Amino acid sequence: MLSIIVCVKQVPDTQKAVFDPKTGAIDRSATGNIMNPDDRHALEMALALKDAHGATLCALTMGPPHADEVLYEACALGADRGVLLSDPRFAGADSLATSRALARAIERLGPFDIIVTGREAIDGNTGHVAYQLSEFLDAPLVSQIHRIRIDGAHAIIERQYGHEYQTIRCPLPALLSVGSRDNRVRHPRLADIAAGAVQPIRRMTMDDIGGSESDYGASGSPTIVIGAELFSHTRGREALPGGTAEKVEALVHRLKKHNILRY
Amino acid sequence: MMTAPYEQYADSRDVWVFAEIQDHERVLEGALELLTRGRELADALGSRLIALVFALDAEQYLPAIERHGPDAILCCSHPALKHYDSQIVPDMFADLIAERRPSIVLFPSTEAGCDLAPRLAQRFATGLTSHCTDLSIMDHPDYGPGLLVMKRPAYSGNAIATVICPHARPQMATVQQGVFERRERDDVATDIEMLPFSYDLTKLRIESLEAPLRWDKPKVPLEQAPVVVTGGRGLATKKNFERLFELAELLGGEVGATRVPVFNRWCGEERMIGQTGKTIRPRLYLGFGISGQIQHTASIVDSEIIVSVNTNAGAPIAALSDYVVTDDAGVFLAKLIERLRSEKRG
Repeated sequence: MLSIIVCVKQVPDTQKAVFDPKTGAIDRSATGNIMNPDDRHALEMALALKDAHGATLCALTMGPPHADEVLYEACALGADRGVLLSDPRFAGADSLATSRALARAIERLGPFDIIVTGREAIDGNTGHVAYQLSEFLDAPLVSQIHRIRIDGAHAIIERQYGHEYQTIRCPLPALLSVGSRDNRVRHPRLADIAAGAVQPIRRMTMDDIGGSESDYGASGSPTIVIGAELFSHTRGREALPGGTAEKVEALVHRLKKHNILRY
Repeated sequence: MMTAPYEQYADSRDVWVFAEIQDHERVLEGALELLTRGRELADALGSRLIALVFALDAEQYLPAIERHGPDAILCCSHPALKHYDSQIVPDMFADLIAERRPSIVLFPSTEAGCDLAPRLAQRFATGLTSHCTDLSIMDHPDYGPGLLVMKRPAYSGNAIATVICPHARPQMATVQQGVFERRERDDVATDIEMLPFSYDLTKLRIESLEAPLRWDKPKVPLEQAPVVVTGGRGLATKKNFERLFELAELLGGEVGATRVPVFNRWCGEERMIGQTGKTIRPRLYLGFGISGQIQHTASIVDSEIIVSVNTNAGAPIAALSDYVVTDDAGVFLAKLIERLRSEKRG
């Protein structure tokens, strides 16, 4: 039976976010939290592998104590256990410090045949973590997966790469990075949600994964944010008048004026 | 007393650019743009600009790279480098960084660049700032002189964060295509250094089982199209969205999309414009049924002319439009196509 771990992240729902008009920061008290959309697709990839080949599936997240919500959600969808990596010493981590903490947790919890992550998170949009886990764990990474099956100690994967379509064979353990194009997610049944809510969640801190404070959080992060500014790109906003036909005329006239339409 | 962070990096000086080859036939436009900005950064630092190219028959790309002003090109040519490989290139690149210690390394935000950069950042335990929209050099009172200042959208694109990496080298950034202009110059003499290929190919873990097939692609890359007609949620149907292609043809442009049409599979992800998609600066941007989520608008603000068509006159996109059309996007689109066709016929 396969052993799979999927990394999920709780993020502010940026599509519905409320922003502080002065700093541009997300008002977290007024904004709901969701499982990062790509991570739902990562979880789906893991669940599909579990359905096809049989597997034990562990969901891992790092975040504040309430981030366990995404683990209950993952269990409702079919994960067998959840692990919350939470410690004030992890706060302020950039992508490198985050990847380091996740990699060490995965090493403690494993071994795993397959590690699945979402392509990127909607709050940071760096897309670094999957690649850096691949480096920390010394496991190959495959993304843009169309089809996957497990054959002994290998995964046979069809994927798009650039403009090309490839079939590849990749040894396990391997990392899979999954985005919204790669599959369609399932939705939990109410009964499963109730069952998921009673799954035990294991909580881990820095003491469980080893290393020192300088490895993690803000002190383990090589990048420093030294400023943030709201930006404004307000323009002339001339409203084109009249009914649809008049507006079309007005637009055509202006495009000619700007020498974009030349006939 | 602690050593000032910059003193230990006194021998890390040069600015490097990953000169990515696209579809094994040309130097990526975004790489040439990065060389142009990299030249300015190197001049500000008084250091050298180095381009790195790993490719099959790599010599053919050297003239195009030379014209964009590097002091030197490090070039490795080998059949195994026909495609970007996520083992070979990071290993070769990492050896070069360890040996020659650049201060700054810049990558295009492409699939290859977004694979290579975080891997190298991990290996050197250094910082990486992705999808940057500006790069400059500053002297910081606490962190020292000659730091790379990287700006990137933050908080879902609602703000621009300024990021530095003072305590580790190299300082690394990825930059989307279209963010910088590219300029040729003929006042820099370029040294060319051919690197031997000595990679042990038996180390490769991922094995290709079938010859890759070639996929269709847009005729003109979205980033280079002079006109981009873009559709959003307000177009309501795939049928409406597909009419954008007619308009694009009439205007000599390409079709772009926000997140919703891509999510609804009205078009492919390669057409997505926004923080996780492409950044464009065409002569004309025409937005149909787009409300103007900041994730999208941050990637169109450098368009010369912005026109928005939306039922809601108060939609955020109106604020950054030169011309605002308050109308049903699908209806206006149909009328505009009809009008332009009649003019072409007449």
